[in-house]
Amino acid sequence: MADGILRRVMAPFVAPPVFDFWAQKVNRTLSWERPLARVVGRRVTARGVVTLQLRANRHFRGFQAGQHVPVSVEVDGVRMTRTYSPVTPWRADGRLSITVKAVAGGKVSNALLNDVAVGDVLELGPAFGDMVLPADAASRRWLLVAGGSGITPLMCLLRALLAENPEADITLMQWARERVDLCFSDEFARLQARHANLRVVPVLTRETRLLPTEQTGRPDDALFRAQMPDLGNRSVRACGPWGFVDAVRSLLAGHCADFASESFTPPPANVSAGEAVTVTLALSGRQLQVPSGVPLLESLEAAGLQPEHGCRMGVCNTCVCNKRDGSTEHVHSARRDDEAGPVRLCVSAPRSDITLEL
Amino acid sequence: MKQSKSQVLTREQVEQFGAELDALHDRVRADLGQHDADYIRRIFAAVRYTEAAGRILLYCWFLPPLWVLGVLLLGLSKILDNMELGHNVIHGQYDWMNDPYLRGRDWEWDIVATGDNWRETHNFRHHTYTNIKGMDDDIGYGLLRLFPEQRWRPFYLFQPIIAVIFALLFEWGVAIQDLRLGRYFKGKMAPGEMSAAFRPVGRKMRRQMIKDYLIFPLLGGPLFLPILAGNALANVMRSLWTYIIIFCGHFTADVDVFPKSVMNDETRGQWYLRQIRGSSNLRGGKLFHILTGNLSHQIEHHLFPTLPANRYGEMAAEVRAICKRYGVNYNTGSLWRQFGQVVWRILRYSFPSKPVTVNRVRLVTE
Repeated sequence: MADGILRRVMAPFVAPPVFDFWAQKVNRTLSWERPLARVVGRRVTARGVVTLQLRANRHFRGFQAGQHVPVSVEVDGVRMTRTYSPVTPWRADGRLSITVKAVAGGKVSNALLNDVAVGDVLELGPAFGDMVLPADAASRRWLLVAGGSGITPLMCLLRALLAENPEADITLMQWARERVDLCFSDEFARLQARHANLRVVPVLTRETRLLPTEQTGRPDDALFRAQMPDLGNRSVRACGPWGFVDAVRSLLAGHCADFASESFTPPPANVSAGEAVTVTLALSGRQLQVPSGVPLLESLEAAGLQPEHGCRMGVCNTCVCNKRDGSTEHVHSARRDDEAGPVRLCVSAPRSDITLEL
Repeated sequence: MKQSKSQVLTREQVEQFGAELDALHDRVRADLGQHDADYIRRIFAAVRYTEAAGRILLYCWFLPPLWVLGVLLLGLSKILDNMELGHNVIHGQYDWMNDPYLRGRDWEWDIVATGDNWRETHNFRHHTYTNIKGMDDDIGYGLLRLFPEQRWRPFYLFQPIIAVIFALLFEWGVAIQDLRLGRYFKGKMAPGEMSAAFRPVGRKMRRQMIKDYLIFPLLGGPLFLPILAGNALANVMRSLWTYIIIFCGHFTADVDVFPKSVMNDETRGQWYLRQIRGSSNLRGGKLFHILTGNLSHQIEHHLFPTLPANRYGEMAAEVRAICKRYGVNYNTGSLWRQFGQVVWRILRYSFPSKPVTVNRVRLVTE
């Protein structure tokens, strides 16, 4: 690729921040190495739910249907990252759609819902996730089970299945509280008109008056048996909050052809000072138990490690290390930090399980 | 012995003093947001625009005033890149933004010194052991005698000339500071140690030389020499300015130097106190503060090196009020007054002076 050669010749002379500064005067998604995406469309898809259509630059390497993509947005000066599942299969032109549901007090979801406009630029990360379609997907019969915004990766799987085989036999059971919370209702109506073997069953837990097509109640055996007489022949994929997915798994796994699921990770539980937390060192592939509330530098040294450090008092920034996830607390100011980003090991104490790039 | 202008406080007083500064730090830290992010990005943009304008104008050799303007703009760009942008970002002042392009750990700047050496000599040694004799290499940079507490040697008679050369080549001095050439020449280094230490520094020097003195001049074709000269002048301009500002930060008349013993069980409050007594500020307008990289607020910078420098101005009034309450001298003055005192030190201490030991300087009453 001519492009690749030019890049290699230029690399020693290019400072990526400087390159990006000038390139983005021309096009705001041009970047030397960062996967950026422009918001090209925005549609409200249910109460408190928005679908953003994005066009990624060439540093974004795509994803498989059912995978998740980290999305970063700047909120009050701080770059914050959350993971979303694209709802349309990957297209070579770099377009993808993510569906975002407002989380009470959620900084990123509310920024994406309320502040991000068409033309704005977001940053993406490499896709990940194991709930992808098997090679013989088009010939299988499917049951997709969605709880709330767990619909998003399943929507992508559903579209990918129909694209491969318009006659695919798919039943989607979609849980929500009320009818206004159902995502993609219009879309499902259109798809069902075109695809004879697609059936969508909304299950509403708090709706007072149900339509004939709708069901009610939490996941239970009778409901699944009534809806899916041929459950034993179906491949099941489930996604939703952890408790929901756990309930579905205990009801269906072993009673269907195969079962796979994804659930939203529960937010890191905060532990009180002195309790043990797990520190994962992502670069050296180690895991260790350390007491919460104690500066990380101290704990890592006690475990026999020798992280680079200097002043031991939060001044020199030598021990700074990128935190991928988890909560830390500044030992002097007691300021909590739940976001990914650089932390100074000497003055940061873990308050949950955390992952460090060390 | 010269009497310090600061009162010696009791242990309790020092801890209260430190708690007040901690509270100020926490208040500003909690308030950081979009405003600060926008500020550092504006500075980054200013560096880019002034550099581009400067480099383009250097091609106007046939119109000398424009060429001169080019030199000034390129020098200005390097000053901003060096001070308000590079120095402050490398401290990790904008790490809270979690922007991969503004991370202190990874930042590299347009100067022959490597970011890595700076992180070691400046961020760690100078900021942790500020003005402790024998610990803080910035006291005279191993080259100058600025305090009577440093032992006099005949070499220092040449110091007025050496100081001028050092100022003109300051970026090179900073680049080799961490190599500790003195130890090397005294034969105190293992063979190979120096060449290993020099390798990254040499790489950075080569990169800067190729960029400023080869590629950009070559792009000018027949204008090779005027463009080379313009780059050289801009680099010297930056060296001189940074030298003046940095020397005003710790070498004015009333700053104190400390013996190593102050580090024994030094508390957070005592550390704060040492930072203030070892630093001096410069008065000036907003643009002046930006051009100094807010090192004109040297005191605030030394108290809170990881807080964004654009906040030092507003913090200065409060720091000053706290100092006044505790009878701690807050050393500030105009550039002329403060630099005049620096020049006086350079001249005065090139000559022998009555030996003074630093051992009696104390931070707290016994």
